[in-house]
Amino acid sequence: MIITVTPNPSLDKVYWVDRLKIGDQTQEEFLTRATRSHMSAGGKGVNISVFLARMGVENVAMGFIGGHVGQVVVRDLRNEGVSTNFVWVEGETRTNVTILERGREYVPIQLNEAGPQISQGASERFLRRYGRILPDADWMVLAGSLPPGLDSDFYYKLAKETGAKVVISAGGEALSRSLDAAPYLVKPDTRQRLAMEGARLTSRERIIAAGRRVIEQGVEVIIISHGVTGDIAISRDGIWDIKARISTTQFKNLVGADDALVGGIIYRLDEGAGFEEALRFGMAAAILSAEGDEKICHQRERIEAEMEQISVERYEEAA
Amino acid sequence: MKVNQIMTKDLTAVDEEISVRELIFILKNSELSNMPIVDAEGKLAGFISDKDVIKAALPGYFEMLHSTSFIPDMNQLSNKLAKIADNPIKTYMHRDVICLKEDDDDLQAADLIIRRNVRSLPVINSAGKLVGILRRIDLLRHLL
Repeated sequence: MIITVTPNPSLDKVYWVDRLKIGDQTQEEFLTRATRSHMSAGGKGVNISVFLARMGVENVAMGFIGGHVGQVVVRDLRNEGVSTNFVWVEGETRTNVTILERGREYVPIQLNEAGPQISQGASERFLRRYGRILPDADWMVLAGSLPPGLDSDFYYKLAKETGAKVVISAGGEALSRSLDAAPYLVKPDTRQRLAMEGARLTSRERIIAAGRRVIEQGVEVIIISHGVTGDIAISRDGIWDIKARISTTQFKNLVGADDALVGGIIYRLDEGAGFEEALRFGMAAAILSAEGDEKICHQRERIEAEMEQISVERYEEAA
Repeated sequence: MKVNQIMTKDLTAVDEEISVRELIFILKNSELSNMPIVDAEGKLAGFISDKDVIKAALPGYFEMLHSTSFIPDMNQLSNKLAKIADNPIKTYMHRDVICLKEDDDDLQAADLIIRRNVRSLPVINSAGKLVGILRRIDLLRHLL
């Protein structure tokens, strides 16, 4: 079974506007009207759960949830066919807002709340539930930011000695402190990758060097974004360039694309596909998700067709 | 159709050591009126409802009465509830729990829900682990 843990889920609200009015406007011009809007359960692990459910894969979403917003998130997940196993906490699950301006969709404006404070008691309740479900897990996906109140070694505690293949998709200290638990696959948050190890990971060489240091810590695979349409996968066995032959101007909504990538890779690996095949499928899912208005593309046929646009090339024999 | 195709895939459950106060918090937030109780392995161990908590908060003589009009005010209930709020729910839970198996038929499930006059029933898999909950509304939505 695949389990996803999203400690800080959200209600994602996306607004599409013709023009975002920021700056010196008169009071009459101040209002920006959205031409469309959309609302859905969000957070990295939640997005991966929805992707997998839409692919027909049974999975369980775990984490902390609170308030009216939390009820909406849980209801949305159940409607998607995801099994929910959340710990209820005081306070309100966060709402994350994305504004997409026509013609500039590839540079979304995002406003993310911090999330509710997690008490010691809630954290302990979660760990008890986690312990109960762990023996059933083939894959354990730990994803997204940590809400206030959780220690930065939260993912480390969950990832160590699980018996399942652990995937961590996160950024900052939550990610760096989890590496000693030697997870199977790591995907640093694209938005935070530049801050990884304090280095500016802008060049290919620096990305590979940083990735190799992570592999030395016991991680099997790390996938680091290199530009918007390319990623580099580094493992003990080699280095792969994953590239999409597509212009970024075709992108309409980048929110969730990273999660489609991770979800796609897990989905195909779980089906028994080879590593390169899984990388291509994941990247195709990410690109299609970015090209559409909807957060995550869930049509397998379309993803498989999009794989024609994706190349996965082995860079060298051993990292 | 099988129960696992129409149930709500909610694994919200508690262990028997949590307090009545915590249970009320979880029931309120999860919009549920009852809660499955699981053991350390996630196997179904019991069931508790808001009705059980109200019953536990009522004065001992209540069962002899036919009407609440003999109870002077809500203070007695409130005081009793405050006294039991930190007690573990194991004192008030049902251990002889009625449940459905995930591959039971929908008709079988409807029959059990009607005959037992319950709002929902926990659903378990072949290993005895909780996999969801079947509510009356899930059945109605499925039938329509």
